[in-house]
Amino acid sequence: MSNCETTRETIGAWLDGELAAAQAEATGRHLEVCAACREERHRLERLHSTMRLALEANGSEIQFEPFWQGVQRRIARKRNWYDELGDRIRGTFNAPRLAWAIPAVIVIVLAGLSINSFFPNAKIGIQSDNLATVESIDAYGRNVALLHEGETNTTVIWLYQPQESENDSSTEPSQTKPSF
Amino acid sequence: MTLPRNLLKRSLLSSLLLLAVYAEGAETGSRPVQVKIGTILASNESDQFDARLKPMERQLKVMKYRSYRLLKEDSQAVPWNDNATFEIPGGRSLAISPQDTKDKQIALKVRLTEGTKPLLDTTVRLQNQGYFLLGGPPHEGGALVISISAFAP
Repeated sequence: MSNCETTRETIGAWLDGELAAAQAEATGRHLEVCAACREERHRLERLHSTMRLALEANGSEIQFEPFWQGVQRRIARKRNWYDELGDRIRGTFNAPRLAWAIPAVIVIVLAGLSINSFFPNAKIGIQSDNLATVESIDAYGRNVALLHEGETNTTVIWLYQPQESENDSSTEPSQTKPSF
Repeated sequence: MTLPRNLLKRSLLSSLLLLAVYAEGAETGSRPVQVKIGTILASNESDQFDARLKPMERQLKVMKYRSYRLLKEDSQAVPWNDNATFEIPGGRSLAISPQDTKDKQIALKVRLTEGTKPLLDTTVRLQNQGYFLLGGPPHEGGALVISISAFAP
């Protein structure tokens, strides 16, 4: 069932018989049960009736010829390019289109900003400057090397372990030390 | 023109609602940090390069080993100032604690231990979604290289 707001927006078209069948039926059903909307309908009917009476009484006195000539002149007049452009812009940014466009743009922007939240492993948005800063380091007496390699933006902390602490018997000294 | 105006009003309201939901979700500092650890065996025993390491090939080759093989990958969500422990081959473990975030950088406190013996304590500040490499512990004729990355949503 249509609500009061929708009914009042369509009641004029309903009185003129301009609504689609389903919408007209819904409006009619609502008018049967809603006293406020019925009152609105009666108000519009009275307005229509008053206007019709006024038109019937004074219609013959109205001079339509100058009005119609003006309409014809405007139709015949060649329009400027900026008028055409203005109409196009108004057509593009009309209310129903904007109503869809605003949330759509916001959703797209938010999706762009949030993409890393959904795909933390994605490459999108990865900082080009990947260099890390080592604020403190304690290797408990062992030798340690710190390498910042600018070309590949790589930070490496290399821990040199004393031979006696190496627990893998197969390890050869030359293989555990990188040459950077 | 009542209908389009209503439509526009509703769309603006729903847009504001979307923005409010996003602002609520985007509030940082409360959500845990996603810490990802990759343990890699670097050695000179072959020329094999693990295809899974392709995205960081150039970075790994800074160390001039001939072979790189991914041994394990692990990921944990770690609350700020809490810590998570990752098992590293060879009886080692890596404890990581996100400390704070500043200028889109995350400070990570990292402790590498072998059994109960501490090997290294360090605090590293890295870019959000950035990573650094911690290498050196000997393993199976080569050396372990641990890639440590962090992502704060």
